[in-house]
Amino acid sequence: MWTFLEYAAWAASAAFALHMIYDWYKTDTTYSEDVLTSSREGEIEAMTEQHKM
Amino acid sequence: MADFDITSPTMDGIASHGTKVGLARVLGPAHVWALGVGIVLVGEYMGWNFAVGKGGAYAALIACWFAGILYSCVAMIDSEVTSTVAAAGGQYTQAKHIVGPLMAFNVGLYLVFAYTMLEAGNAITLGYLISEAARMTAGVTDLDQRPFIILSIMFLAWLNFRGVLATLTFNLVITAFAFCAILVLFFASAPWSADSPLAHAELMSGQAALPYGWIGVLAAMHFGLWFYLGIEGTTQAAEEVRSPARSLPFGTLAGIMTLLIAATLTWYICVGFLPWEYLGDGVNGAVAPLFSAAQMTGSNFLIIVLGVGTLFATLASANGCINDASRAWFSMGRDHYLPQWFGAVHPKYRTPYRSIIFLVPIALIFALGAPLDQVITFSILSGLLGYTFMPINIILFRRKWPLDTIKRGYVHPFHPIPAIVLLALCSLTYFAVFLGYGTQLIAMVSFYIVVSLWFHFWRYRFVKRADQFTMPWPKPKGY
Amino acid sequence: MARYTPPPQSKIGQMIDVIVLLILSIGALYIPLWLGLAGSAKTPLTADNPTWESLGQNPTMVERWNQLGFADPASAHDMITARFDYSFTWGAMALMVVVIAGYFALMLRLSEKEYREVIDEKFERR
Repeated sequence: MWTFLEYAAWAASAAFALHMIYDWYKTDTTYSEDVLTSSREGEIEAMTEQHKM
Repeated sequence: MADFDITSPTMDGIASHGTKVGLARVLGPAHVWALGVGIVLVGEYMGWNFAVGKGGAYAALIACWFAGILYSCVAMIDSEVTSTVAAAGGQYTQAKHIVGPLMAFNVGLYLVFAYTMLEAGNAITLGYLISEAARMTAGVTDLDQRPFIILSIMFLAWLNFRGVLATLTFNLVITAFAFCAILVLFFASAPWSADSPLAHAELMSGQAALPYGWIGVLAAMHFGLWFYLGIEGTTQAAEEVRSPARSLPFGTLAGIMTLLIAATLTWYICVGFLPWEYLGDGVNGAVAPLFSAAQMTGSNFLIIVLGVGTLFATLASANGCINDASRAWFSMGRDHYLPQWFGAVHPKYRTPYRSIIFLVPIALIFALGAPLDQVITFSILSGLLGYTFMPINIILFRRKWPLDTIKRGYVHPFHPIPAIVLLALCSLTYFAVFLGYGTQLIAMVSFYIVVSLWFHFWRYRFVKRADQFTMPWPKPKGY
Repeated sequence: MARYTPPPQSKIGQMIDVIVLLILSIGALYIPLWLGLAGSAKTPLTADNPTWESLGQNPTMVERWNQLGFADPASAHDMITARFDYSFTWGAMALMVVVIAGYFALMLRLSEKEYREVIDEKFERR
């Protein structure tokens, strides 16, 4: 039983890894680098919060 | 960059995949609590007992409470700064705005290493737990732990990859379970009744009281931090919380209270069940002390509850660590402190997906190749350097922006006493680490010195100067 | 003050930077391990024919050891007598203080220099 679980764990790890790599590849080829790296720090603060007293 | 093109499927300027993608703001205060406590709670299930090994049972309790004071200071200071600086980098972004770029780079690395090492430690414990389960259920003694270690890291990375809300909701559930499991064991061992299996008086008498004398108490501070290490990670969720100025202080302070209770109960239960020599040897003895304590009760129900509790605690912690380490790595990429390639956000899942993937193999290298106490020490040292930064941070913050210049979501009381206490306790802990693990301490600090020089003289040239300062604050006093 | 424009970094340059960082960090943990310098070396005392009494164990402790699967004193001996060595030289301690204090001093100094640049550039353009 445990030998089987070992193989199952190997298989599941591989599946998760492959899915991430596949999705990563797909995302990187679909969207341009400019869009992907367009996040900027503090953007929401600048719009919604006034740090003035 | 081009603004948008209505005919393009990927840059149509509409919705989340318009022209700009950022992290998703979906979390509430309960998620912040789950992130903070989830990372830390595993510290009660494994690792803290090395403190018993370094100084005995009483020493561990004293260390637990002193570390509790240290972390209360950390939580208060952190809550004030982060209720104002709400960005995914957490302390990294704070350092960038308050102390300076090189400090920020170092703080970012502290965060990434503290969390990645903690994640590796969790995976090691999980592997042990699975092999223990195999031994108890089927008598299998030669189980290969590696596939289970890899699976846990892969699964959690995948979960993180797919979105933050599911990740932290998952954390909320398993953290709550793990916390309740400690309560169950406490009540089941009935400390108030005469025939309780807890035998504190007998197990802590004679040579077992203070086996190393008072220097052992000092030395125990090293692993005393482990009861709480990671609670400061709540700030990493700042960009994903719906109302950071309110949720972050609330979640963090509720978290530290939960942990003070859990840590004391854990100490009380384990010390009452196990001889300190066994409890303190976390490699050959009690790898998972609460689980070992449950085994001593002989109750199958408790063994299962605490076994599952340990499993959940390790998963919750590793999960939170992946979340936090990747946020810190991502923020540094976004500012070009690291290659900007890491500053990418997944357009659909709204997660820093490249950072998440990149940190997976690093966690695996340490989880598969290093002993548990070394990994923990590496994590504690990075954390400790981070706590040393905090008093500097808050003192400069109050000096550069006094209370009446910017609005704070939370103002911590008795400034500068918490900062001074924190700094004193940090110095004490450096000495505690030095006792027994001095080589690692020097190796680690040397690493940060080399990396700092590398950053200052090479890497910093790729960073835009003024753009790093993103908060809408007035000019700091004295500049 | 003129605005600083950073040079663009090539893909290969980015990769080299990451690799440098990786080598340094993995080295910091593994070099002490490889050299066998890593602390935590707890050394058990040697004793012939240990008894529970000579190990300082009272009846309750003995009962717990038995429950944990250590049937006789010899099997638990190493775990019970293993102790850290907390003796240290003041020289080593001074080295630690110098390294840590030096590190923070260096970092704060260089940070301050960089920070002034950031603030100058940020608030001049307002």
